[in-house]
Amino acid sequence: MEEKLRHHWAVASRREFFTRAGSGLAGIALASLLRSDGLVASTNIPDPLAPKKPHHGPTAKSIIWLFMEGGPSHLDLFDPKPRLMELAGQPMPASFGRPITAMGTSNNTLMPSRRTFKQYGESGIWVSDWYPNIAEHVDDLAVVRSVWADGLNHVGSVCQMNTGSILAGRPAMGAWTTYGLGSANRNLPSFVILLDAQEPVGGPKNWSSGFLPATYQGTQFRQGDTPILHLKSPLGTTVEQQRSKIDFLKRLNERFSTQNPDDTELEARIAAYELAYQMQAAAPEAVDTSKESEATKKLYGLDEPDTAVFGANCLLARRLVERGVRFVELYAGSGSGWDAHSKIEENHSKRCRASDKPIAGLLADLKSRGMLQDTLVIWGGEFGRTPFNEKGDGRDHNPWGFTMWMAGGGVKGGHYVGTTDEIGLRAVDRPCHVHDIHATILWLLGLDHVSLTYMHNGRAERPTEVYGSVIQELTA
Amino acid sequence: MSRRGLRGALIAAAVGSILVPLARTTESAKQFTVQQRRWWAFQRIVKPTVPQVKNKAWLTNDIDAFILARLEEKKLAPAPSADRVTLIRRATLDLTGLLPSPEEVQAFVSDTSQAAFEKVVDRLLASPRYGERWARHWLDLARYADSEGFKSDETRPNIWRYRDYVIDAFNQDKPYARFIKEQIAGDELYPDDPAALVATGFNRHFPDESNARNLLQRRQEILNDITDTVGAVFMGMTFGCARCHDHKYDPILQKDYYSLQAFFANTRIEDHWVLDSGSHRKQWEQQKANWEEKTKDIRAEMHRLVQSEIEKDYKEAFDKFPPEIQDAITTQGDQRTPIQWQMYHKAKPQLEASEQEAGTHLKAQAKERWGELKSELAKFDAVKPAPEPLAQAMIDNGRESPKTYVLAVGVYDAHQQEVQPGFLSILDPAPAKFSPPENKNSTGRRSALAQWLASADNPLTARVMANRIWHYHFGQGVVGTPSDFGVMGDRPTNQPLLDYLTATFVEDGWSIKKMHRLIMLSSTYRQSAKYNVEAAKMDPEDRLFWRYSRHRLEGEAIRDTTLQVSGRLNLKMGGPGVFPPLPPGVETRGGWKKDEDPSEAERRSVYVFVRRNTRYPMFQVFDMPDTHESCPRRNATVTGPQALELLNNEVVLEWARSLAGRVLNDAGLTAEAQIDRAWRFVYSRPASNEERKDAAEFLERQTRILEMRLAKSEKLVVPDGLPPGVDPARAAALVDLCHMLVNSNEFLYVN
Repeated sequence: MEEKLRHHWAVASRREFFTRAGSGLAGIALASLLRSDGLVASTNIPDPLAPKKPHHGPTAKSIIWLFMEGGPSHLDLFDPKPRLMELAGQPMPASFGRPITAMGTSNNTLMPSRRTFKQYGESGIWVSDWYPNIAEHVDDLAVVRSVWADGLNHVGSVCQMNTGSILAGRPAMGAWTTYGLGSANRNLPSFVILLDAQEPVGGPKNWSSGFLPATYQGTQFRQGDTPILHLKSPLGTTVEQQRSKIDFLKRLNERFSTQNPDDTELEARIAAYELAYQMQAAAPEAVDTSKESEATKKLYGLDEPDTAVFGANCLLARRLVERGVRFVELYAGSGSGWDAHSKIEENHSKRCRASDKPIAGLLADLKSRGMLQDTLVIWGGEFGRTPFNEKGDGRDHNPWGFTMWMAGGGVKGGHYVGTTDEIGLRAVDRPCHVHDIHATILWLLGLDHVSLTYMHNGRAERPTEVYGSVIQELTA
Repeated sequence: MSRRGLRGALIAAAVGSILVPLARTTESAKQFTVQQRRWWAFQRIVKPTVPQVKNKAWLTNDIDAFILARLEEKKLAPAPSADRVTLIRRATLDLTGLLPSPEEVQAFVSDTSQAAFEKVVDRLLASPRYGERWARHWLDLARYADSEGFKSDETRPNIWRYRDYVIDAFNQDKPYARFIKEQIAGDELYPDDPAALVATGFNRHFPDESNARNLLQRRQEILNDITDTVGAVFMGMTFGCARCHDHKYDPILQKDYYSLQAFFANTRIEDHWVLDSGSHRKQWEQQKANWEEKTKDIRAEMHRLVQSEIEKDYKEAFDKFPPEIQDAITTQGDQRTPIQWQMYHKAKPQLEASEQEAGTHLKAQAKERWGELKSELAKFDAVKPAPEPLAQAMIDNGRESPKTYVLAVGVYDAHQQEVQPGFLSILDPAPAKFSPPENKNSTGRRSALAQWLASADNPLTARVMANRIWHYHFGQGVVGTPSDFGVMGDRPTNQPLLDYLTATFVEDGWSIKKMHRLIMLSSTYRQSAKYNVEAAKMDPEDRLFWRYSRHRLEGEAIRDTTLQVSGRLNLKMGGPGVFPPLPPGVETRGGWKKDEDPSEAERRSVYVFVRRNTRYPMFQVFDMPDTHESCPRRNATVTGPQALELLNNEVVLEWARSLAGRVLNDAGLTAEAQIDRAWRFVYSRPASNEERKDAAEFLERQTRILEMRLAKSEKLVVPDGLPPGVDPARAAALVDLCHMLVNSNEFLYVN
């Protein structure tokens, strides 16, 4: 065992990388896509993005994570609390346990929801009138009402939802996924981030590869026809001119390689330029939605100003998943948009309107194309909100008990997992920590969160640190 | 506070099963196995005798005997020497992160003296560029950044002085023992040396959250960061693994983790340490008094205007803290316990709203008046003294420290037994001896640690550093895991060599420059990268150093050398970080200033501002570490985005344009001369016949393609001030050629 674990803990070469990754991966397919595309003649180049066999049969091929950044109120969306109505205006009974909060609000009075809740579908899952379109899909949703997390503030909590830790520096789940499964389309990044407004709090470290090689980090797609940084040839360079340059470069590099025939890294770098060149064509095609039908665009709400921005990202997410991208993370309200410390009615009305139709459209579209069965859709924020008020008409951060839901990708639809207490402050029945959510997502992708390891600082690090277990109730 | 769920259960389990009274710890100190006590890295350093070898002709210095002995054991031969061009490029990139000029190459190639290479090495070691290069290695280890991290990622306005301190320390060849002492305890040990105070910034580089509410937890996270970093950087031990339990592989007790932490238990940030002293300082104070006198009334009125705002802000911030922090704030100074002092200092920045900030909250008449007063005040700017030079340092908060406890599963409030400052039990089980230094409001704890670390008797410190130096020269160390000399790390592939280097390092007064010289003048270093099938079969990773292993330049060096060959590199040293423009569409929280002088954007990469949450994209894509923890060894990935960066980033094309301009200027109009000049700039050698032919053909073909663009009246990328008679399409083709040269492997690798 010990001998097996003895690997280098920083990758200085591709060769070394494979020694290090060895124990954590179920096996590396040596026939990489690169080679099957005929880009590389040699057979001995280790390729860190080659598709890898999962640990077990997956039910999901791709993830679409709808990240409601800032913390949506579970109390006003998916977790109705009649008791809160009875206690309205009273201080929280001490029996619920007074937490340290971000804004020191735990002595404030309890504030019931002003929303109307209804049961939907055959499952009878409750949804408030803020999400009427998503409500039509409840029979496909598994609603986890007992998620809990460790952070009080946005930055740590967003970081934890992405990486498992409230402290920066660990790899994001999308990076672990790419590390574990490799890429299914080398012309596009495997882990893509889409924003609808500002940068999320903490910025790119939320899609960082942490201690994993940079190969696995997420790529933020930018608006417009050049989604990837430096995708376009510079200053008017034409296709022919660029091709001719790259061919010349190839000859320079090949001549150099002839003198150093043993060096596979030099060869990999030649291939990287070919990939870059192909990416220049593939990425703009992937983001070009002009050929989508009017009906599809309408389905996502592209025809309405309120829903057009997030709708376009949802549609793009489907197109990326169709093309083999494994992990798409869409921020709704990026830059803490849902952070309703005051005027929650105003804030959430707007946020819900912007996301309801696009998400419902995405679910419908995936379903009609037969993609929902192997695409896992996840909805949630970095935390929920408190039952006590802040500034009279807002709610503070609540990491102790909040709602997330999943759909597709092998998840059993139309049921609940877990509950919060009578006022929705803390998870009481079947608490699911963020690590459990991560373990479950990886499980659905065919990866075992305990076996997926990478040697770092003398430890076999894994996505869930030393915690987490799969939420079995979620799977069909 | 009651905690629920997973962690609560874990703590309960830990407390239940491994409840550790003090007795157990002393006992376990005795419980180390013979194997653990005999672990190679814990043995005293004895300078080994130089081994006998057969091929004596190959030896230049003792290093070679150690290397060759191992190779001969395996029946392997070292690679032939590298040619002179390769050698001077390698040495120059290695020591300065830049390329030799064509003239320097020429001088070396034609120098027939025995000492030709020695002269090159000495010249490079004397160059200020050397410190800029090697400081960058140390900054990786120190997790250096110019910003806080977390959400707001605010600028640390004076932390750059630490970066300059490191550059300076390397340039003046500060003995490593002293370098350590200054960084751990410069404030206590060298109170009169401003540089030593700046040096304490080493422990100031933890990421921090400016609006944390649970400050006890935040303090613990910071202490963990410092403990992990000090353990890894100076001792090459993965202390972090012993935070929650005894180390699973190495003899690091959980108690040792917190004993190491206890040295830092009383530290706090000091961001306003005035570096100026003596007569200059007096003058400054006079100026300030003068300005204050002249502006007294204006400032008093401004203060009155915002007073209620400031009080409101204070109350708002205060109310957000949990009760124990509020207590720490309201307790009178002389009544505060050491831990309350710690909390008070952590809370203070959140409570202090500046008058300027409060002024922006004013409304109506008050707002108007505020504006008037501000411009009144500005009239006195001419007599206002410039801001004082400040250090961002780590100092002790007083002579008494808060207690340190072993924490169950590392949870900040799950106290177990109390521990005293102490070292690795297996090396030195006695508690550290220390006393508060005279006339200093400090515990003396860190001085004790610094002395212990920087002692020639410490088996780890010098070994770890000697290996790091070797690692940066060869791309891999004698121990392949430079910050892990434990069981999970690599074994030394040649321990006698490492011990020889270590002993010599200490003998030579911990001089890093002498180590460079020793290593670089060896035949081992001067080997070529030539492949050898037999050797590769036996040792594919080149762990026995049978050749020089080629490795890719870091992002910083790629940028610096490209700027250099373009003739645009600005060699100005020191000062606050600079901000080369970000590519369009990249935004940062915390901001990215615009340098007023555009040539600032072309300074060496070590001076580029390090925004923790948004590293400069060109560096990030080439594996710059993420600055949230110490990085002993960079990854070297090969990715498509790296190709896009060098191929399509307009900045790189712009540099290629300048390079083409230099080539044209030096070489004139014939293709042959241009190609030759370009090759000499970029590869330090003339083009071969085949290359010349290929390049000439490329220029012709590319000219035709560009003529078509010209025919459509498109604007081509051509060098400035084209001499008359130069066809713009042909000039643009030369730019394309230069652009591809700086994209090529021969340019991007140290060979």
